[in-house]
Parts: sequence; C-alpha cells; structure tokens
Amino acid sequence: MTAMVAWTPFLQPAPAVHAWWWLLIVPMALGVAMAYKAIRVKDVSEWPKAVLRMSAQIVAAIVGIAVGLYLLVILLLPHLPAE
Amino acid sequence: MPAATSETTFRPLGALLGWCFPGLGHIVAGNVRRGVYAMLGILTLFLGGILVGGIDCVDRKEDSLWFVGQAGCGPIAFVASFANDALLKTGKAAPMIEMYSGAPGGASVSSFKGLAHANEFGTLFVFLAGLLNVCVLLDAAVREPRSDGVRAGRRAGEGAAR
Repeated sequence: MTAMVAWTPFLQPAPAVHAWWWLLIVPMALGVAMAYKAIRVKDVSEWPKAVLRMSAQIVAAIVGIAVGLYLLVILLLPHLPAE
Repeated sequence: MPAATSETTFRPLGALLGWCFPGLGHIVAGNVRRGVYAMLGILTLFLGGILVGGIDCVDRKEDSLWFVGQAGCGPIAFVASFANDALLKTGKAAPMIEMYSGAPGGASVSSFKGLAHANEFGTLFVFLAGLLNVCVLLDAAVREPRSDGVRAGRRAGEGAAR
C-alpha cells in the first residue's frame, strides 16, 4: 500500500507487478483486439462484440497453452526415465 | 481490411497521417468511427505500457531493437523516448543510483528505471502498439474514403431501387 501511494504513474514502473504480472494478459489482449478489429470488421457497429470475442479467444488460447505446458513440465516430464 | 482488387489505390497521405497519430488517417478520410476505434486500441496499449513499465520502457538508445517496432506509433513514441532522456537519465525526475564499482566511468542509473516483469510488459505493450499501428496506417492508405457510411447506408436500405 505504501508503494502504491508513493507511485508516480507514467514515470515510475507500476509497483508490485511481479506479483500480478499474469493479469496483464487481459489488457494486452483487449488492446490488440481493439486495434485489430477496428480495421478487420466490415461494419463498424460490430466492433464491440468482435473485440470481446477476440479478447476472450486470445486469453483462452494463452490459458490453454499454460495448462498444456503445466501438464507437460510438472506431470509428464518427471515420469520420463532420467537416462 | 478491404479486399485487394485492381481498383485498390494506395494513398500515401493516409499512411502518413496514420503514423503522425494513430487513427488519424481513417478520420481524415471520413471513416471517423473506425479511426477512433483504432486510436482507442493503439493508445490503450501505448499508455498501458507506459503506465505499467514507466517511461523507461521506451528507450531508443538502450533498447534500440524494441524501439524499431515502437516507432510505428509515430511521434508519441519519440516524445516518450525524449522524455525518458530528459527526465530519468538526467536525474530530474528521481535520484540517480551509483552502479556497482566495476561499471565503466562510475555510471549511475535512475531509481525509476524499470526492471523485470514491469519493464518487460511495458516494453511489449508499446511494441505491440507500434506494430498494430503499422497495420492500421496501411489500412488507412488502401481503404476507400467514407466507405463506412456508404456500407451502413446500404444496409439500412438507403439508395435502394424504388
């Protein structure tokens, strides 16, 4: 809390990012989808829905990759023979 | 993005305006809503990156390869880099910290310098903003002016044979 009060936004890095860095995937997906869908949608009135759909797809894909890597590294690899 | 046809014309002014400020190429060409939406996306990434990583995540001297992509945002990326030089590297914004004794020339760095995840994500956000703005400005160069209004009007039945 003290670090947050002393934070100077835009000049200083956000405090305690190391604890919640993975949550930054959500605004990243949202920003990418907002810019990409602005030039991809045929009818601009479809933009909000298209952005939400693409953001959800990006986050779901990254979560899927994370789960897959977890299963591979933590569960599968330890069972392989060492030599 | 419009389908490439033999009638597609490249308008360099649209691309130039899109580089000057994200979305401006579309707005000037009459595709205002599309330009504003593109601007929102690019600025969300750009400002979000600087909010997370601080101004240090745009550095044309120390992170020159990242800056190649970040420069796609246009003058705002250069302004951020100049602000980094003027505020952080001179010690105006925050006190400087002496580096370890083996550093050449007794170098010092700003205590606001970004490290680890904050710097990585901030740099990545601004980099993505630059790359996406290149896509947006290329779209502004080939998209038909005022094409959004025409399409919406056609859908609503305007101009149909009576």
